[in-house]
Amino acid sequence: MAFSLTSEARGRIAVITLTGELDASVAGQLRDAVEQAAKAEADRLVLDMTTLDYMASAGLRGLVFAKQKMGANVDIFIVGAHDAVFETIEMTGFHHSVFMLDTYDAAQIEAP
Amino acid sequence: MDTFVVPGTVESLGPIREFVRSKAAEAGLDKKRAYRLQLAVDEIAANIALHGYEEQGLTGDIEVQAEVEPDRLTITLVDSAIPYDPYSRVMPSDLDAPLQDRAIGGLGVFLAINNVNEFLYRFNDGQNHNIFVVQRESESTAT
Repeated sequence: MAFSLTSEARGRIAVITLTGELDASVAGQLRDAVEQAAKAEADRLVLDMTTLDYMASAGLRGLVFAKQKMGANVDIFIVGAHDAVFETIEMTGFHHSVFMLDTYDAAQIEAP
Repeated sequence: MDTFVVPGTVESLGPIREFVRSKAAEAGLDKKRAYRLQLAVDEIAANIALHGYEEQGLTGDIEVQAEVEPDRLTITLVDSAIPYDPYSRVMPSDLDAPLQDRAIGGLGVFLAINNVNEFLYRFNDGQNHNIFVVQRESESTAT
């Protein structure tokens, strides 16, 4: 399934929704969206993966890129990752550095 | 053995995954193992396209071979880019480190090696052969 991405700013929170299959051919789109969020001075990044069917390491590099561009203190929330995608994140240890949520939890994500 | 030949570019990654998916279905792999095989093949194919061909200013094909045997499914990627042994790559040793301190190289090879039963590399006749083997019999006998 083709990849698509939408970005939304909710105050200081950048929400990027990923759909389809994220591989090396489309990784540039995620980097661009992260750069936009960094420019907008977002201090939290939400990656909604509810409709993401596949993610290669290109997606993981996008997370590293986000920490570098937006600052090490930016909190990254990954919402709704499917089992297989979740497993890749866990296998590479990335779950230590991000918050993994089943659904968009406003109380946690939007906490002051 | 079935073969599928595509240009060695990242645009071919989707078609390669689709080919692997169909072979995984033919071999009766469950959803999880089929996904993991796709991921392993995709990571190496991306490296071939980006580092083997594009960065070197080279163009060429990637040939995907699939062989279904009674006990295993073997996928082989053959390319004529620069010789590159993924095992020569130092594995990430910082899997628990905070993201901002992590090196971003090597993740693809790490995922390739860890998502199939066996991953082999050979250089034969001037071509790279990256070989992925998955056992067809399910590891668990859960009903």
